[in-house]
Amino acid sequence: MLRTALRNVLAHKARLVMTVLAVCLGVAFVCGTLVFADSSAAAYRAAASKNFADIAVSVTAKEPPPGAAPTQRTSVLDDALARKLADVPGVAAVRPSADGSAVLNAADGTPLRAGKAWANLAAAYVPGKDGNDSRYPLVEGRAPKSADELAVDSGAATAGRFGIGDTVTLATDGPVMTKRLVGIVTTTETRVTTGGTLALFDKATAQKLFASPGHYTGIDLSAAPGTAPSELSRRVTDVLPADRAEATTGTAQADQQALLVDTLTRGYAKMPMVFAGVSLFIGSFLIINTFTMLVTRRTREIALLRAIGASRRQVVRSVLAEAFLVGLAASAAGFLLGLGIASVLPDVLSTGGNTLPRGPLVVGPRPVMAALGVGVGITVLAAWLPSRKAARIAPIEALRTAQQPPTSRSRIRALVGLALLVLSTGLLISLTGAKDASEENLRSAMLGCGALVVALIVLAPLLAVPVIRLIGRLTGRFGITGRLAQRNALRDPRRTAATAATLLISTALVTGLAVIGNSTGRALDRQAAAGLGADYVISTRTPTTGIDPAAVQRVAGTSGVRTATAVTDSTLFTGGGVRQISGIDPRTVNDVMKLDFVSGSLADLRPGRIAVSSTLAREHGLRAGDRLNAGLGRSQGFKQYTVVGVYKDNPVAHDALGARAEVQRNTFKPGSVQRILVRADSGALSKTTEGRLRTAVGNNPLLKVQDREELVREAAGTVGDLLTLTYGLLAIGVVIAALGIVNTLAMSVTERTREIGALRALGMDRAGVRRMIRLEAVTVAAFGTLLGLTAGLLGAWAVGSLANGAVEQYSLALPWGTLLLVCLASLAIGATAAAVPARRAAALSPLEAVAEA
Amino acid sequence: MPQAASTTAVPQAPAPAGAAAYATGLSKIYGAGETRVVALDSVSVEFGRGRFTAIMGPSGSGKSTLMHCMAGLDTISAGSARIGDTELSRLGDRQLTRLRRDKIGFIFQAFNLLPTLNAIENITLPMDIAGRTPDQDWLDLVVGTVGLAERLRHRPSQLSGGQQQRVAVARALASRPEIIFADEPTGNLDSRSGAEVLGFLRDSVRELGQTIVMVTHDPVAAAYADRVVFLADGRLIDELPAPTAEDVLDRMRRFETTGRTC
Repeated sequence: MLRTALRNVLAHKARLVMTVLAVCLGVAFVCGTLVFADSSAAAYRAAASKNFADIAVSVTAKEPPPGAAPTQRTSVLDDALARKLADVPGVAAVRPSADGSAVLNAADGTPLRAGKAWANLAAAYVPGKDGNDSRYPLVEGRAPKSADELAVDSGAATAGRFGIGDTVTLATDGPVMTKRLVGIVTTTETRVTTGGTLALFDKATAQKLFASPGHYTGIDLSAAPGTAPSELSRRVTDVLPADRAEATTGTAQADQQALLVDTLTRGYAKMPMVFAGVSLFIGSFLIINTFTMLVTRRTREIALLRAIGASRRQVVRSVLAEAFLVGLAASAAGFLLGLGIASVLPDVLSTGGNTLPRGPLVVGPRPVMAALGVGVGITVLAAWLPSRKAARIAPIEALRTAQQPPTSRSRIRALVGLALLVLSTGLLISLTGAKDASEENLRSAMLGCGALVVALIVLAPLLAVPVIRLIGRLTGRFGITGRLAQRNALRDPRRTAATAATLLISTALVTGLAVIGNSTGRALDRQAAAGLGADYVISTRTPTTGIDPAAVQRVAGTSGVRTATAVTDSTLFTGGGVRQISGIDPRTVNDVMKLDFVSGSLADLRPGRIAVSSTLAREHGLRAGDRLNAGLGRSQGFKQYTVVGVYKDNPVAHDALGARAEVQRNTFKPGSVQRILVRADSGALSKTTEGRLRTAVGNNPLLKVQDREELVREAAGTVGDLLTLTYGLLAIGVVIAALGIVNTLAMSVTERTREIGALRALGMDRAGVRRMIRLEAVTVAAFGTLLGLTAGLLGAWAVGSLANGAVEQYSLALPWGTLLLVCLASLAIGATAAAVPARRAAALSPLEAVAEA
Repeated sequence: MPQAASTTAVPQAPAPAGAAAYATGLSKIYGAGETRVVALDSVSVEFGRGRFTAIMGPSGSGKSTLMHCMAGLDTISAGSARIGDTELSRLGDRQLTRLRRDKIGFIFQAFNLLPTLNAIENITLPMDIAGRTPDQDWLDLVVGTVGLAERLRHRPSQLSGGQQQRVAVARALASRPEIIFADEPTGNLDSRSGAEVLGFLRDSVRELGQTIVMVTHDPVAAAYADRVVFLADGRLIDELPAPTAEDVLDRMRRFETTGRTC
């Protein structure tokens, strides 16, 4: 029977091409998204990770005890120590470094690739014995030698349009500096190569900026062959002053970093995984649909095999072998195509400023497994069900019926579908009563939405009749072609439904996400506007840098400014995760923030006490007077904080408020300020004032000066990711749906050859035939879209009512533009997908009508 | 049955008097070189207006090809074919389509009804395609003639073979074409249904003045026609006016024996 299977595979080339294409593209999408997920996760990791490959042991200064004089910091890491370390047996090389971060202004004055704390590196160029720093090979110019000289990496030079000799504006922390570019280097540091920048200073300047004159921020040691890092670490520790410096092995640091990076990047992996999941789901649909149609079409052939004596089992096995062969070949092709997709996805998904980090493709075992599972597994499964059915039919019966018997409407389908529908809508409606977005409620919401979509897919063949009749009212305007299109779409409701299912799923997802995104965005806008009392906000791009204290003074002294309140931002580690805390002065905070307290107040805010947002309070079950175990900023270990008040979520106040003095002590840069909230004199709200504020902070690339409107827009930017996701899903759905429509139509044109021939004989011209096929495609697409819109809106409404409890001022806001785009896209897809089958149908000769079957 | 012959169009300038369609030196050649097949070899024939003509011949004689060429379903290699005053060999696809739509009716062996349309929709389909409103009185007459008044809302799958072919006959008659081509109209029917359909065809010629050309290999079917033309090896070899089944069968036997001897 294997030979029969092989013959079959090769006998019908067109059929083969169609199936292979379906499987191949299904697999390609799944693998592409999975590889993309893995690669972008790896790129994100690389973007945030320091390379420890060459470092056996690092020596760093110990945290000074609280209250120690600042001069004590890093003061032991100097050249003397470096020389001493070089003499430790087993040390192959000593590389002292003075690292920090620096944000550059591009040639056009805008900050260059700024935004991520870890992406804008700065370091000292420390020449070795040969006069060069081996970590940073020069490609152009020379190394920086004096305080007013600078070298950058080649990526930054290209992106920033710098040339040797240019004057570059930059800031490390505090005030702005200008330096002359003297060299361009390359680096293997992944944090830079994945889309960051590197600024190199001469040793003395870097020491002054990031440590103190004559001192380093760290000394890296590489081990001589045969010396274990742990052994070296022990020997080095013996040489170090125990209370001032410590040695850590590179592997230990790498492990620690991996942990941190994991928490930082976990979120980024989610989006591509959603893509992968969706394409898996709708890719499977495409394959199942195509193969079901194929085997159904082969019923006669199977009957013939049965009639000449093949057993049922042989028939089924032959079909399965064919499916396996096709699946395997197509999966292999699909996998390769998927790699192609993965390599272009970052470009497709990078919109505007939201660029994804770059990195090599990472092909893990998951995409390979998925390719086999989807390509072979689903293909075989898709072939198995109909082939069993085909084998069960009495041979003569199948040979006799020239046309497929009309599919009976299954009562079981109706019952199962209705039960699911009732269950899911019931679940969703019950959730609208819930007042918070607890994990449990969210999970039931997701379950409800999923069940709703499945219910609609199950019911789709039954819904097809009334819905398509309704659509037929519109297509009927095109006369007989429209009427025929509608009837054809209804001819096999199950096939129509299966074809429309891909569009149903993607439309439902996109509609749901778009509605929720839009509503949340609006709510955040309102929140930001409602929570901010200040007129301008000056802020650092990252919490690890601070605003130069002199700048705070200058801002306060700027004309038109009534009050300028400094805020220190830091992180608060609670059992649940990392939160943002703002250090404020309770006396002036009410001038610049509009806080709405649910319980307690800020009156008693002082060290050891905090106020929390209602979300944080809900998650930890906190009320005013309760205690919260948390870690603040860089402080080691957790501490009990008394909650003095709970305020309604406020994007300006972040998740928690603490006393500025305490937050400042524990922030990444002790004593620093990250935001200045400015209240202007009445009537001084103008671009001029904003310009003065910019000047007051020295046009520092580290700092953003935003008015209320810009700030509100930025708050809405948090849903930008969701929007990218939405359009990505729409694209995937639309492409797969188009393929499904092409497949189904091509198949049905083949089946209806005689009919189309008859129409041509009876006087329908080619344009009429084309229009008929196109209208059929549009009808199917419209059906899927309509059902998807319904599911999406219902889901968004239910999930939205959950959000109503979690997000203040949430209300359902329909993104009409996006919804319109979704509808137009799917109708356009219908029309475009029909092009090829329509052309084939129109090319049919009227003689086909009289040809022998 | 009312006399409706007066309503059919009277020919204005019949080229050979009384011909609804005619062919002169019509040839149809498939393929080239070694695979070259001459399906029609310079056939000249005319089909009289208001007459029922049968084309007969053994398989491969070219009878179907002749019909396809005359009906504008297939292209012509050489010679001329005319429907009324229209020369088919000069028409492109679009004009041929329009010609079929406006002037020709078809009855196929496999009925070729659209399964998604019910009986009456199938009957009015050619007019729907042309965007014309059917003449209700004529439609009622046609539907009454073929005896389908009760089953107009049925889909083809709910009709028997004979009923389906009656729908097809009504479809061909409904738009009052200049000529109807029937391709083995009884080939898929049992003898009783076949006789019924042939009766309708003959009646429509006699009572409604319709012109019909029918391809068949069944002598009994051919006996319903006013005239039979015989084809063999792509050539017109004989014709028989007012045939009976016996005459036709006799003629056919004779061809077969001559065919075998030479």
